[in-house]
Amino acid sequence: MKSKRMPSYQEIMKLTGFRSKNAVFKLINKLIQAELIEKDSQGRIIPKKMYGKTKVLGVVEAGFPSPAEEELLDTMSLDEYLISNKEATFILQVSGNSMIDAGIMPKDLVLVERTNEAKPGDIVIAEVDGKWTMKYLRQKGDQMYLESANKKYPPIYPKEELKISAVVKAVIRKY
Amino acid sequence: MHYSPPLSLHSFPRAIVHIDGDAFFASCEQARNPSFKGKPLITGKERGIASSLSYEAKACGVTRGMRLSEIKKLCPHVIILPSDYETYSLLSKRLFEIVKRYTNEVEEYSIDECFADLTGMRRPLRMNYTQIAERIQKDLSVELGFTFSVGLGPNKIIAKIGSKWKKPAGLTVIPARKIHLYLENLPVDKVWGIGTQTSAYLNKNKVFTALEFARLHEGWVKKKLTKPFREIWQELNGHFVLPLETKEKEGYASIQKVKTFTPPSSDPIYVFSQLSKNVENACMKARRYKLEAKRLYFFLKTQDFNYQGAEIRLNRPSAFPNEIIGLIRPLFNEIFNHNSQYRATGVCLFKLKPQGSLQLDLFGEALRIDKFRKIFESVDAIRQKYGKHTVCLGSSYLANQTSQRLNERGDLSERSKALLPGETMRKRLGVPMFLGELV
Repeated sequence: MKSKRMPSYQEIMKLTGFRSKNAVFKLINKLIQAELIEKDSQGRIIPKKMYGKTKVLGVVEAGFPSPAEEELLDTMSLDEYLISNKEATFILQVSGNSMIDAGIMPKDLVLVERTNEAKPGDIVIAEVDGKWTMKYLRQKGDQMYLESANKKYPPIYPKEELKISAVVKAVIRKY
Repeated sequence: MHYSPPLSLHSFPRAIVHIDGDAFFASCEQARNPSFKGKPLITGKERGIASSLSYEAKACGVTRGMRLSEIKKLCPHVIILPSDYETYSLLSKRLFEIVKRYTNEVEEYSIDECFADLTGMRRPLRMNYTQIAERIQKDLSVELGFTFSVGLGPNKIIAKIGSKWKKPAGLTVIPARKIHLYLENLPVDKVWGIGTQTSAYLNKNKVFTALEFARLHEGWVKKKLTKPFREIWQELNGHFVLPLETKEKEGYASIQKVKTFTPPSSDPIYVFSQLSKNVENACMKARRYKLEAKRLYFFLKTQDFNYQGAEIRLNRPSAFPNEIIGLIRPLFNEIFNHNSQYRATGVCLFKLKPQGSLQLDLFGEALRIDKFRKIFESVDAIRQKYGKHTVCLGSSYLANQTSQRLNERGDLSERSKALLPGETMRKRLGVPMFLGELV
């Protein structure tokens, strides 16, 4: 180990007290099978999974198993947290400040889910004159309309059918 | 009219659906940008020809493969977009995932179509087969934002006839006992799997419609036709013969890389660099699947659609582009004609074998290959980390330069022009994006 290499057959004989290289050969084959070491192109042994690959999940107190692995089964990734219906989710980059009072700023990314079950109160992505628009969906009596989160913009009452494509599910802002 | 008896007395001994995206690439573009909706649109700008067209473009008389110049004359307001295979692939994956909500037996037939076996799903889903097909179709159009045509039948051949029957957004249900009604006026060459050769042969034998084919005597079919056509004949008669290939692709029978470049070129160094890049890409794919090729062919395509090429047999399997390019170069020089304008090159690796263990030999060949293997493992690792074109062979350099120039020519996809902070030309978020103006 001092010489920063794996021991030779001869050295292993000394270390283990084996009397023959054949015994060393058998030992090495077992270690190779266990994928702890492998042979290089010259047939010398080199380490494989001996170093570096073990995952450390927590410090084990003597006598008690680490709870870390089991606990982690109940966590979710950021993807899972932000996205519920993966197949229907799209991203959209915000421009303009019509939703600024809802905390949605220009350049923010919104995760939207395509659905035809938008409810009043949802922030929706609708199609108006060949453009996307992002607004609150509101209802007055039977009439559905769109309302911005910025007093400067008047509400939009659709003349024909209101074409809602998606519902906003999350906002992402990277600093 | 004489009585035409049904070909089968059953309805759905098996229930197979075929789902086909309506103008898939063009629809992907229209669904994410509302300013494109209802307008003639084609994709394929970077190739100089229409590779997919919206229904509005079809209505103008545009056809697939038509040249851009011709399209502009025919349909001056047409929107011409470069292909965005990244987005199309993301949506293709979603198509399969949505169908798999209803059954796990799904054959991913191509980027925009699949087969699914619904047999036995009526009770667990509490719906009949037609209702399941309707639900799949509705999920797809709501969640992906464009329409799909669906055919339901007792087997793949009939399901495919169904999905083509009414497009776009059609749902055609063909129980076995009604097959004959759909085959009556269907020319036999419209049946999936029957090509021009077979239909010409059948025509000679006075078989013109799919129904006439289906009503042929079993003995005649067995004696005169090969197995694939006997199977089609059985399926037209309502039997389930062709299985769904639901296994994920583990390997390839062959790997092909073809690339068209614009403008065409008569510069041998440039054309060779295009070919070299294709060889590199094909080899990279082969190595990813741990395969090596025993044989390959390459070809050059001229502007007037002439092909010239050659086949090469390797003395041992290889997936190393530097070896293969060395073999191609002398043949390329023989084939290349300085008076021709070339517009595409391609290479196909076939007779693929799993990357084998090295056999020791007299001349140190095994050691040399082992060295290559190590070099290309590193090359693949670098590409994995920093992008596909960070390392390339000198012979591919020119071709890679032009791919960078695409930007200036406006051939970059709409999505690559809308990079988000932190995204690069090589790596983007794996979630499709809404584009177009937001007000």
